[in-house]
Amino acid sequence: MKKLIITIGLAVLSIVAFSQDKLITKSGHAKFFSHTVAEDIQANNYKVISSITLSTGELIFSIPMQSFEFEKSLMQKHYNSPKFLDTKQFPKAKFKGAIKDMSKVDFTKDGEYSVLVSGSLTMHGETKELTEKGTITIKGGKVSASSTFNITLADYKIAFAKGKPSTNIAKTVEVTINVNY
Amino acid sequence: MLKKVLISVGILGAIGIIIAVSMFYMPHRDVLSASADLEVQSSELVKEFLTNASSANEKYLSDDGDSKILNVSGRIESISEDGLGQKVVLLKNKEDKMGVNCTFTLETNDQINNLKVGQIVNIKGVIRAGAEYDEDLGLAEDAIMEKCSLI
Repeated sequence: MKKLIITIGLAVLSIVAFSQDKLITKSGHAKFFSHTVAEDIQANNYKVISSITLSTGELIFSIPMQSFEFEKSLMQKHYNSPKFLDTKQFPKAKFKGAIKDMSKVDFTKDGEYSVLVSGSLTMHGETKELTEKGTITIKGGKVSASSTFNITLADYKIAFAKGKPSTNIAKTVEVTINVNY
Repeated sequence: MLKKVLISVGILGAIGIIIAVSMFYMPHRDVLSASADLEVQSSELVKEFLTNASSANEKYLSDDGDSKILNVSGRIESISEDGLGQKVVLLKNKEDKMGVNCTFTLETNDQINNLKVGQIVNIKGVIRAGAEYDEDLGLAEDAIMEKCSLI
């Protein structure tokens, strides 16, 4: 009887542990920043969906592209248009990857861990492999992740052929991601 | 004659500048005071995207990012808050795998103070993306609405 209770107890515990292995948030933050001589442009998005799997270090991001908000309405329209990100046809950007150096991260101990994340980013219908630096922070048992990296728009076939937007948007934009799981 | 030409050119130029400046400073669409383009139940909206994503994108999303303003009815599955302090109501029927994630604004937050899980409500907002189950990512993603208010 005692054995049975212990077995059931262990089974329940492992189910609980398993269910907490994958952490999900639906309100992560993404920002991009473009600098040219003509102007600085930035946009913010607070609807980033992300998951992290603690046992494997798998990291997933899904970004609803129409949730990026710009200071100027006209810029937002340009950004969404079929000439640029074509967000009607490609409503989400997705990243699937993993923390490469998982041995550095102790999810049970508070701290800031610098990690390398590599995986594939799909945006505007184009997929590219990338490896970027990021930070995993554990504070009071809460896990968060952040990273700042550059994206070359041409890699994803994103470009204005002509006109003012073509000169006022940088060829490479800085992307910042901040998620609290 | 010359004077007339100069005046007309001047007037045309001024009109051009006014149009350019007003386009540059064109305000964002005011979702809160606009009326809804479509009314739909949360289950129905999710189902449309799961059945045929491209036709649903065509129906609900717009090229310039000012996508359809929807009046969505459904059952409150949960109420939470995002990083900006905006309230988030998830409309989802019990039998559905995904729902409609509705983010309110700091101005409309108070509208849901007295709402409870399980209640049926009508929420107006702009749709940003549809629902999908991405097998590769192992993620069930709700449809996303922002600038929400209670109807």
